[in-house]
Parts: sequence; structure tokens; C-alpha cells
Amino acid sequence: MDTQQAVAEGTHTDGQSDSKRDGQQQKFTLGPNDSLEGKLTYGGHMAVDGGHAEGEFRVGGNMDIGNGSVVKALIEASNVTIKGVVEGKLTARDKLTLGKAAKMNGDVQARRLQIEDGASLNGYVRMGDFEQHPG
Amino acid sequence: MSEWATLSSTQARRPIPASADEPPTSRPADSNQHNSVTLGPRDRVIGQIYIEGDLRVSGTVEGEVEVTGDVAIDDLAKVKASVTGRDISISGQVVGAVIARKRLEVTRSGSLIGDVRVARLTIQDGATFSGKVSMGAAAEAPAKGAETKPVVVEPKPVAVEPKPVTPEPQAVAKPTASIVATPMPPPPAVKAPTVPPPVAKAAIVPPAAAKAPMAPPPAAKAAIVPPPAAKAAAVPPPATVGRSDGKGGKARNQPKKGKPKRR
Repeated sequence: MDTQQAVAEGTHTDGQSDSKRDGQQQKFTLGPNDSLEGKLTYGGHMAVDGGHAEGEFRVGGNMDIGNGSVVKALIEASNVTIKGVVEGKLTARDKLTLGKAAKMNGDVQARRLQIEDGASLNGYVRMGDFEQHPG
Repeated sequence: MSEWATLSSTQARRPIPASADEPPTSRPADSNQHNSVTLGPRDRVIGQIYIEGDLRVSGTVEGEVEVTGDVAIDDLAKVKASVTGRDISISGQVVGAVIARKRLEVTRSGSLIGDVRVARLTIQDGATFSGKVSMGAAAEAPAKGAETKPVVVEPKPVAVEPKPVTPEPQAVAKPTASIVATPMPPPPAVKAPTVPPPVAKAAIVPPAAAKAPMAPPPAAKAAIVPPPAAKAAAVPPPATVGRSDGKGGKARNQPKKGKPKRR
């Protein structure tokens, strides 16, 4: 009986995560005093809000890198918004936005790209569908 | 003043020579009046343009563009050139290295493929851009060196189309980079031929010469190989022989050459 309950709970949580996808996707935020080092694969959104992050981040949802944050990482996410300092290779499956104060150092691949005046970018930029990339 | 008809809008001040096809190059720098050149949608320039003043392009430009003022590339424009200017705004298609001393803007209808050196960069959503971006200190220091480089690199593709010949060795690393990378990284390699563009042409010729030597060896192989070819000759399909032997189209020719001799 216990196992059945456990299974039931398991399916239940699955259902919850689905509902989260429908509504609010999980979001993982790194605050000003937080720091993260290592490899992260995450289904939801990720935000670095003034924190420090280093490593490799593969995010199913969006990635926001706020003002004052420093990220040195390989980044992959759907929509990436940068307002802080980023160093490393970056892939945006959908759109990459570099805000006014953004400093991006590294190669960039994105389907769509927007760079606001004042942003700084150094590196190779590649745009378009990703099928084209390997070919 | 008709917008498209004149290359220079400063006619009133300075008498323009009969040959109005070329923008005035000897313009005195001290004049305060602004020189602005417009290339209309049906205009085409192939070669080098140097303009002291602003440039607006709506037509086709190939080669090299250097402008002391601002550059505006309109929606319908097609530019295959290295572009140097102060403020550069791109709404059309541009293929080539871009150097903006002040600011580069690619609007939502714009498309830019090429390396970029700028002080400030704006790319609107919807724009297409591929290439290497150098901004800030990285952009300013080597900028002068880079200006001369695209000069050399551009003429080649325009004059002939030996792209595959030259870039291959240099830009092997990245496929897309071949276009993009050419202007910047190869400088050292290119520099040697840089000074005399003719040298580049000379470089183009050799490959042909090189091809000749290339061809013989396969021919020799064919000569050596004859036994199998002869065997094949017994069997009707020579084409299959060519395919099996040949790695490329060249190989196909050899068996053919071989057969007539045997016949």
C-alpha cells in the first residue's frame, strides 16, 4: 500500500510540474549574496540577480542576468537577457538581449539578437536556425 | 535639388568637374559645409569609394567604402564591401567588414554578415548579424591595421572569385568563418601580399599553374593503374571504374583518357 501511495504521490508531483509549465514555470534565482559554481541543468527559468555564477548552465527556460551580476559560464537557454557581466560561450535557443549595461565577452549563438545602445560585446556572433550551425 | 541625380549636394559651393561619376576626393578638410553623397536604388558602384562627408546607399555597392562621416544603408541596398565610417546605420544587406568609429546600428530590416569593429553597437530585434564583434579597447587599437586588411581582401572576391583558393588554407577552422574571419585573422598571412594587390593576382594565377602539376600525378596513376582499367575495359561499364577509382571528378577523366589509348 505504501508503495502505491508513493507512486501516486510521484504521479501527483509530475502533474504539478506540468501545471507549473502551463502557468508559472519554476524559477531559480541567485541573489546578490549568492554564488554558484559548477554545472547546472535545469528545466525552469534561471535568474542571476546580483550574484556570482561560474560553470555550465543549461536551462530549459529563460535566463536573466541582472545588473551587477557576474557570470563566467557556458550558458544555454531559451531567452537570455543580460544586463550584467558575462564571460563565456552563450547559446540562446530563441532570443538574446543585451541590455544597456551588459558586458558580454565570448562567442554568441542566437536565433534572434537584440543589442541595446551602451552594451558591450566581444566575440563571434552567429545567428539563424540551429540546423545551419553544424552544417 | 534632385535627391538621386547628384552625387554631391554641395554643388553650389564648389564647381564639380565634368566627371561627376566619381565623388570629389580632393575636398578641402577645412570647409564647414557638409558633403553628402547619395547612391540611389538604381545606382551601382563597384570598386573603391572614399568620401569626405556622409554617404547614403540605396543601390548596390561592391568593393570598399570609406567615409569620414556617417553611412546609411537603406532597406533595398545590397552592399558587398568593407565599410568604414563614423556612424553607420544598416537597414539593407551588407556582407563585409564594418568599422564604425562611433556607432553601428543594424535595424530590424538590416542584415550584416562580416566582422565588426565599433565603439558602440546597437542591433534591433529582427536584424540578422553574423560575425566577430570587437568593441571598446579591443576595437580601437588594431583598427588601423584592420582598415588596410579588408582593402586587400575585398578586391579579390570582386575581381575574380578565387575565394575557395585563398581562404581555404587560412580559414579552415570554421566553415562560416571563412567569410567572416578572412578580413581579420589572416592579416599576417595576407600582409605579405598586402602591399601589392597585383601580387594577389599573381597568387591567383599560380593555382592554375599548380593545377597542372596536380593533374599529372593522377594521370600517372592512371598510367600505372591501367591493369585494372584494362580489366574493366573487358567489362562494359567504364563509368563504374571511374567512380570506384575516382575520389572526385578529376579521376573520372583519367579512365576516359586511358580507354582511348587502349582502343
